[in-house]
Amino acid sequence: MSAENSKVPESGRGFTVNRRELLVGAAGVAGAGALFAACGGGDKVVGPLTFGARTVDESPTKQLKALVAAYEAKTGNTVTYNATESNAFQNNLSQYLQGTPDDAFQWMAGYRMQFFAEQGLLVDLSDVWDKIGDQYSESYKIASTGLDGKQYFIPQSWYPWGLHFRKSMLADLGIDPDGIYNWDDFLKMLDGMKKKGLVGFAAGDKGGWEAMGTFDIINARVNGYQYHVDLLAGREKWTDPRTAKVFEYWEQLVPYMNDNVLDLEWDGAMQLLLQKKAGAMLMGSWFGGNFKEQSDADYEDLWIIPFPEINPEHKRDTIDAPIDGFCAAKNGTNNDGGKDFLAFAGDMEGVQAMLDTGVPMTSANKGQDTSAYDAFQTQQLAVMAEAKYVTQFLDRDTRPDFAGPVVGPAIQSWFKNPKDVNKILESLQEQWDALPPL
Amino acid sequence: MKSSATRPSKSRRRRAFSRGDRVTLGIFVGIPTFFHLVLVWIPAILTIVLSFTYWTGINFGDIKWAGVANYDNIFTKTPQFYEALRNNVIWLLWFGFIATPAGVLLAYQIDRKIRGHQAYQSIYYLPVILSLAVTGIIWNFMLRPDGFVNGVLGRDIDEAISFFGNYDINIYVIMVMASWRHIGYIMLLYLAGLKAIDPTLREAAAIDGATEWATFRKVILPAMRPVNIIVIVITIIESLRAFDMVYVIYGTSAGLPILGILVFQNIAGEGASMKGAAYAVILFVLSIGPIIAYLRQQFRADVS
Repeated sequence: MSAENSKVPESGRGFTVNRRELLVGAAGVAGAGALFAACGGGDKVVGPLTFGARTVDESPTKQLKALVAAYEAKTGNTVTYNATESNAFQNNLSQYLQGTPDDAFQWMAGYRMQFFAEQGLLVDLSDVWDKIGDQYSESYKIASTGLDGKQYFIPQSWYPWGLHFRKSMLADLGIDPDGIYNWDDFLKMLDGMKKKGLVGFAAGDKGGWEAMGTFDIINARVNGYQYHVDLLAGREKWTDPRTAKVFEYWEQLVPYMNDNVLDLEWDGAMQLLLQKKAGAMLMGSWFGGNFKEQSDADYEDLWIIPFPEINPEHKRDTIDAPIDGFCAAKNGTNNDGGKDFLAFAGDMEGVQAMLDTGVPMTSANKGQDTSAYDAFQTQQLAVMAEAKYVTQFLDRDTRPDFAGPVVGPAIQSWFKNPKDVNKILESLQEQWDALPPL
Repeated sequence: MKSSATRPSKSRRRRAFSRGDRVTLGIFVGIPTFFHLVLVWIPAILTIVLSFTYWTGINFGDIKWAGVANYDNIFTKTPQFYEALRNNVIWLLWFGFIATPAGVLLAYQIDRKIRGHQAYQSIYYLPVILSLAVTGIIWNFMLRPDGFVNGVLGRDIDEAISFFGNYDINIYVIMVMASWRHIGYIMLLYLAGLKAIDPTLREAAAIDGATEWATFRKVILPAMRPVNIIVIVITIIESLRAFDMVYVIYGTSAGLPILGILVFQNIAGEGASMKGAAYAVILFVLSIGPIIAYLRQQFRADVS
């Protein structure tokens, strides 16, 4: 179970998939055609390569293995699939990229990619973009571009951070999801849940990053996109009364939360929603696959709306929508192989192989037929469409030596004692000011 | 050891080594010393140097001199440092006054061959064969919100007892977990020492009419001095270097800050900075200070 994996950070390290299983899978997909393509195709032979996945969860693993199998079938090239649990992967990335990394690996767009591109650890993928770039809208190309103007990233999927709930539970309360537009509507819904003895707003922050999404969205709703971006870039102060205001609103949600926020990781909060113990949860939509693993009925019951409006001036105009995808490692033994694989992964053909697994995915590729989206995915698109400004996520929008080691613990200590807010904000500003100059 | 060798009180020093002896000794001492220098002391010294710089840990060209900025940051601006220090001190006190004495007591009881002593011995020793990481995984399985204990109590995730998420008690939950293993470890060390004690010492004490407690305090404990030193040093080191178990349960999040975690949090991953090196140096100084002081005092006492 996916919940199992993320609870035990070490367990997934170095987990390697059985080769035979992959080859059999590949043969099943394309059979003899694979051999033919390898001999007759005009593509240069790039040789065996390795791919590093930063997940050991069931659904995404199924997707990635299908991608690898389709690539092997098409090119006759072999790919070694290595999987690492995502927190462990993240913590070791610097060392991994400087050592003997996989030729291609799963990573994230924006600052987190740019940082490693700057250090010369990623392969320039500009020529891959020349080949497949017309399958992506401009915004994805921007998110894939390093500070030197070259591309280092191939997008795989995106997901919006929004308010998730079960349609059936809202129906029980007689509330129309579209009727939840502003803060008051939202509190009314939470109240209804609470009166029924349920948790209104499921929250988990044991991992230290989960609640950053709540900070992002309340800040954007209260103070607007520009203030949020400026704050994370250090152009506004954490000690500004406007920042304190974010926590005033957040504190109004605390009575509706489960008591054990600091004992649950994101998947614990999701379990509350899955088990119908909680009414709503703010999270990225990636977990649709977990609902589907449980049952199709659960997946069909899942719904998302934009986080409610707080300040009418800013409506619901901002959303966190991170992009996940792939990079190629400079220190890999087969850079051409890595690039070749990523060209396939970014091409509609590779995307289709992942979609064919039936695991829900909102691809970044324009070629994915949005009319084939299921209802939940169509709604994700609608939630995205309402937003004028797209941000990534706090830990992708600010300095990494600030997000993880400083903001994460600060929010956790706020959960421990919300009354300490001013002290915590002062400390945040002080720690920002003490960061090494870039 | 050094001090005993330099004192001319015994004539041992005058013994001449043959050429062959010297070569053999040179090899036996030289090779380990070489590896020790390369793998331990050189990295340690580099860490100390780097703790005075700004660096992301990737390109050598990016290293910038920072003076004491990293230390200033830790001591004056990072509330987590003091939380971690507090937790490490609790850890040390708990081990020092509860877990270690419990291990010694168990060893003593088992050595007295109380009924079923072999069963006790196995039971208490069992956790020691597990690594701390595995211990963490087992206890995590027991105590997490959807774990065994909450399951037996029939509590769902939303009403589960929060063993790890309640910051007022979580250090003590971790202490129970850590003690589970530490007690057995100390017991075994002590038991080995007790077995080596000449039984006539006990008999003599018994003939002199000493009580059990007096025998332990006045006869056994002093006779156990070498083991006592090891036990105390191990208790200090285990308390300060604590990392694995907490990492298994909390990762690098601040759920339970301890110094070992802060080192890792600031030096691993994308947020790498030499603040992590500064934490490592602080931890190094804290660990080595008391240990050197204690060992010096003990060995001096031995000689006189």
